[in-house]
Amino acid sequence: MSSLTRTLISRGFSDLENCERFLGFSELADLDQTQLLDALAIADNPDMALQSLVRLLSRAPQTRSLLTCVDPDTGRTLSNAHLFRLLGASESLADFLMRHPEHLEVVDPALMGRPAAADPEVLRASLLRSVGAEPTAERAVAQMSKSQGRIALRTMYRRHLCELALRDLAAPSPQAAMPQAGAELADLAAAALEAALAVARNEVGAALGAEKVAAVRLSVVGMGKCGARELNYISDVDVMYVVALDEQAAGAQGIDESELVRVGNALAGALSRTIYASEREPGLWEVDANLRPEGKDGPLVRTLESYLAYYHRWAQSWEFQALLKARTIAGDRALGADFENAVEPLIWNSSERDGFVESVQAMRRRVTASIRDADAGRQIKLGKGGLRDVEFSVQLLQLVHGKTDPSVRLRATTAAIEALTHAGYIGRTDAALLLNHYTYLRVLEHRIQLVHMRRTHTMPTAPEQLRALARSLEGPLSMKRPSADSLEANWSKVKRSVSSLHEQIFYRPILATAANLSAEDAALTTDAARARLAALGYRDTAGAVRHIEALTAGVSRRAALQRQLLPVLLGWLANGVDPDAGLLAFRRVSDALGTSHWYLGMLRDHQAAAERLCHLLSSSRLVSDLLEVSPEATAWLGNSKELVPQSFESQWSEIQSTLSRHGGDAGAIRLIRLLRQREILRIGIADSCGLLRQDAVSRALSDVDRAAVLGALLVAENEIYAGTPPLTRVLVVAMGRQGGQEIGYGSDADVLFVHRPVDGLAQDRMGEATQQAKAIVQRLTTLLTAPLKPAIQAERVLTVDAGLRPEGRNGPLVRSLEAYREYYSRWSSAWEAQALLRALPMAGSDVLARDFISMVNPIRYPQSVPEINLREIKRIKARMESERLPRGADPARHVKLGRGGLSDVEWLVQLLQLQHAHAHPELRTTRTIAALHAATALGLVDGDDSETLEAAWRLAGKIRNANVMWTGKNSDLLPSARHDLEAVARWCGYEPGNAAAFEEHYLGLTRRARAVFERLFYG
Amino acid sequence: MNRQQEFVLRTIEERDVRFVRLWFTDVVGSLKSVALAPAEVEGAFEEGLGFDGSAIEGLARIFESDMLAQPDPSTFQILPWRGNGKTEQTSRMFCDVLTPDGEPSAADPRNVLKRTLAKAADMGFTCYTHPEIEFYLLKSDRPGPDGIPVPVDQAGYFDHVPGGVAQDFRRTAVTMLEDVGISVEFSHHEGGPGQNEIDLRYADALQTADNIMTFRTVIREVAIQQGTYATFMPKPFSDHPGSGMHTHFSLFEGDSNAFHEPGAEYQLSKTARQFMAGILKHAPEFTAVTNQFVNSYKRLWGGGEAPSYVSWGHNNRSALMRVPLYKPGKGQAARLEYRGIDSAANPYLAYAVLLGAGLKGIEEGYELPPAAVEDISALTSAERRLMGHDPLPSSLHDAVRQMEESELMPEILGEQVFENFLRNKRSEWQEYRLQVTPYEINRYLGVL
Repeated sequence: MSSLTRTLISRGFSDLENCERFLGFSELADLDQTQLLDALAIADNPDMALQSLVRLLSRAPQTRSLLTCVDPDTGRTLSNAHLFRLLGASESLADFLMRHPEHLEVVDPALMGRPAAADPEVLRASLLRSVGAEPTAERAVAQMSKSQGRIALRTMYRRHLCELALRDLAAPSPQAAMPQAGAELADLAAAALEAALAVARNEVGAALGAEKVAAVRLSVVGMGKCGARELNYISDVDVMYVVALDEQAAGAQGIDESELVRVGNALAGALSRTIYASEREPGLWEVDANLRPEGKDGPLVRTLESYLAYYHRWAQSWEFQALLKARTIAGDRALGADFENAVEPLIWNSSERDGFVESVQAMRRRVTASIRDADAGRQIKLGKGGLRDVEFSVQLLQLVHGKTDPSVRLRATTAAIEALTHAGYIGRTDAALLLNHYTYLRVLEHRIQLVHMRRTHTMPTAPEQLRALARSLEGPLSMKRPSADSLEANWSKVKRSVSSLHEQIFYRPILATAANLSAEDAALTTDAARARLAALGYRDTAGAVRHIEALTAGVSRRAALQRQLLPVLLGWLANGVDPDAGLLAFRRVSDALGTSHWYLGMLRDHQAAAERLCHLLSSSRLVSDLLEVSPEATAWLGNSKELVPQSFESQWSEIQSTLSRHGGDAGAIRLIRLLRQREILRIGIADSCGLLRQDAVSRALSDVDRAAVLGALLVAENEIYAGTPPLTRVLVVAMGRQGGQEIGYGSDADVLFVHRPVDGLAQDRMGEATQQAKAIVQRLTTLLTAPLKPAIQAERVLTVDAGLRPEGRNGPLVRSLEAYREYYSRWSSAWEAQALLRALPMAGSDVLARDFISMVNPIRYPQSVPEINLREIKRIKARMESERLPRGADPARHVKLGRGGLSDVEWLVQLLQLQHAHAHPELRTTRTIAALHAATALGLVDGDDSETLEAAWRLAGKIRNANVMWTGKNSDLLPSARHDLEAVARWCGYEPGNAAAFEEHYLGLTRRARAVFERLFYG
Repeated sequence: MNRQQEFVLRTIEERDVRFVRLWFTDVVGSLKSVALAPAEVEGAFEEGLGFDGSAIEGLARIFESDMLAQPDPSTFQILPWRGNGKTEQTSRMFCDVLTPDGEPSAADPRNVLKRTLAKAADMGFTCYTHPEIEFYLLKSDRPGPDGIPVPVDQAGYFDHVPGGVAQDFRRTAVTMLEDVGISVEFSHHEGGPGQNEIDLRYADALQTADNIMTFRTVIREVAIQQGTYATFMPKPFSDHPGSGMHTHFSLFEGDSNAFHEPGAEYQLSKTARQFMAGILKHAPEFTAVTNQFVNSYKRLWGGGEAPSYVSWGHNNRSALMRVPLYKPGKGQAARLEYRGIDSAANPYLAYAVLLGAGLKGIEEGYELPPAAVEDISALTSAERRLMGHDPLPSSLHDAVRQMEESELMPEILGEQVFENFLRNKRSEWQEYRLQVTPYEINRYLGVL
């Protein structure tokens, strides 16, 4: 290895081969190589510096004299560190110096002033003069226009940008200097806009008349980062234009408002072209006016009155949030000041506007949503733990507290963080971290952008770029050459910290109020804490503070852990529909589980589980109630395997082992009912975690009921047979939605009871056998529903309803198979055959089940249905529609019996089954959707109609389930209260805030389904 | 409390307002009103005023529902016909109807129009309308001995009647309208005896609809003060023209008229053509809204200038939609006139469906059929069929049936207003069918 290679490595070069080649170039021939390499080592990226230096020397040989300078104190010759730092940081600025060697003087050590901040007025004057405009004039007009003006302005801008970059790169601590650099960049952009306006006045004056243009006042209001005076090296500059007429001016006659706006538009257009239109000297950045009222479609310029009219009448919440950053940056100062003064109250009253809480929540969701789709995690700005997180958090706090506290009404993020800390809204430690992370990320962004002056927010991947970046973060005084890996590690640490701080700074101070945390934490006043909770959607804020107190008080391990976790949990709970109920339920669960180590472990180590828990507690009364009585089920949340519904078989074997232990006595029924409750909870949790589809939920719930009924049947038989040989065997047949395995939470079980005396039973004991069957059936019903001692808390008993039996409530509760056969052959009415379509054996003898089904098949799938029967079914349906609906219920909102609801779809499908299932066995199913699909495949229903019916049926089913989930009570009505509707909408998969859209969707879908039903059913 | 609300409270104080009427409208466009004492206005601004929301569902209401009426302070107005001169004034504000949790009520007609306008705004348009409202001035609200209403005069189109009742009436009415902030473009005597027309100056569609509600009240009040009676009934006389409410529509994109394109046929932009195509295509579906009473169809099919076929033309007075002539260089005045609406329509819903249908045309890029150049009523029905001039619905029943089939109407009106409106209209038709009319008595009693 040559010693040159070693030297290059020690100086931080990466591409050794090329560097050695460059070093041999004639431009560098007579330079002292050691000195040169030492000088290049100053650069963050020595490779780039070397390359640029070679190019610069060949284009502008006079650069040679700038490579060194003489230290005025010691008289020694030193390398010109400024030049090398610049060459090692920005290829783009090096290119600029090559294009414009006349500006090389900016790196001339003899001419360079002390690196002090540039005064905004000096920048403004300089850029105005560059286009031949008089800085002191009220409405300065440039002498130059078009190409000439553009080139002059852009060149001068870039010269100042070089100076600025030189100062920035020389700052001992880049992070500490970042706010200053951001401010100067914004000032420079403002100065460029000012000069561009002067050029625009010249150009438009030439076209429309100079006097007229002189009478138009125009103010450029900076928005976004430029408004906040924390601009990037390169980014769109967000602006809005305000125009007014100068009544005093000579050209003011005959300018009405539309003319005023026309001139204003022309000026704004010319201004934007001066900055960005393509030209020999490239454009600076895009002037983006899309934050203006009505966005892209709105007029480019408006009068102050027009802005205010818009903001008073039309503006949405985010627009006020955007105005938070508005600042006059160029043009007419007085007009701009009027604008700022007029909009200020609007910003700070915006938290009183309707929907503020919703929009805050939407904003929070945007923050979290952008986390998920951020690509590959290389984003500095939008990714998780990116700059956007910091900015949003700070703005949110400003909006919440700025209403009552003017001291936090500041535009720049860094200044706002300091003000929020000073006023006690953010803890000192948190604030210091936040500020540090923010400036860290911003410096990263600045250095990445500086290289090519490209608008990028993505972390590079090449190791040499990362190394250069790592070095640039250290500042010029550091001798360290940190590795690419250490940069990646630091960056991820910052990202992680930002995303936790994001929750932390919002909730932690609330905790501090309640829980007396360390003095480092901000202590919010109770009012401020409650304002913050209210902004997040908590309604009973006093109650919430009480719960937080209770959860965090004391020295137990649990309290300590909850103090740590609550900031995050409060945020998750706030994402639910009812954060208050969620917090209360959380407190109860926490009290119940208290010290069990797995619970604390789960909260601490299983983020996903804790998030699921919060979601459940704040969105479902059903699950909250069940979790309160069986908190140990919380453990399932951390384990997806536990959230798979148990199969019927495994439930059955559990019941069997229970029965064998308890000998089938009444004690066993308690365990059977507890098992049912446990499995319903499991299904509910799995459902709400999105692990189960609608069909699977119904199927699983049916299995649970089936296992319970079977268990109860065995217990009842044991009791009634009482050790003697049985006289008869009983079969439970599921009917209705239970038979279709389409039930929801809390559905009744519709059933038929069948029995058959044992073979060879003497004729005279038949009556006895019937008595025994009746006793078993009655016992079964009692076992499932009778209150137990001690009571099972929060139980939703399984009501067995045999109302669909022949002759309805007047018929005998249980009949023998033969009795059924006889009945159906003689009396059966149309609706009974229809009801049998959904008969599915549920519990009892398998042989009997088979015989029962072969007995009913000819009845429910008849060869032909007499017209009179069809008419009868239609008539019953028509009568049901008018009679069965509960009094005062709106048919449009009744999901079961209302228009286009469950019963419409089911009756239609059943009618088709009755008519065609004999010929087409594929229609022989107890399931509505399976039958509908079969009917569609057969061409009995056309595809579009079928889709409408299926969608309506599914949505109605979902709403029923959502009602139970949300309120813990059964209801067949689409809720009207907005809060309930919102909850149901979310259970049905709608994004938050879409209750009205959901309601429209349901009403429209069922209206269409009803039209299909009427056409196909009534004909 | 925002500045407009403060302004209202201050005015109430300064002008010694004794009553504040809160106005809202049911689905058929009947004005509903609640009077508030001044002390309660502040509370109404903040929390709204609770009432039984089924009042806005129209005649066929079924369920009670709690709603809130929230006054819109920008519509505050002193009512000049109440109070005694300078003191003890009465005022009114239009209300938005909200659900108890503060969301706009889906059943509120004013909200329907607001929603449509918001949609237009999303597409980049502001909608302006300019109605020409016809009505009859009668001697009283009772018909004469022959069962026919008695008009105040026998004059005709643009007739100047010296010392005429109608002229006095119009002068007073126009003054009063200006007093409540409604600008009147012009007013004149219309074709029928006692028939008058007053044109309101163009304004944005929501304000126009509010203005129409106020207008009807003002006209009735002035008539009563002068001992006459004003009616907006679509067709009070079999032998005289009905009362229409031709309305001019224009869309603006920012400051420029989106309907105007110099050099195009009739200076009509593509946007204008698509907008018109949308209205024409959907006209049969929304006629139940723009012509909502049994009596409306007597006007539509009663001959005269009433348009009964889907058609458009340039200055063709028999067409359903007309492209009015305007002076060269007045591109901002470009507009389209829909001639189907009658004076008894609910302006909120009527404008919502018209604008909604027009916007649909723009969204979907409908093609405009060719203009009608001849008098459509003079064509034979085969000719009309060939040229694609479909008839509008022939009766309320027919109109309701066509509306029921529509997918666009529920989209514009919202499912709830759609349902409430249809329920209302079905029951009206039901009632009408039970009637034995004087026509039947005259025609059949003697001969059968």
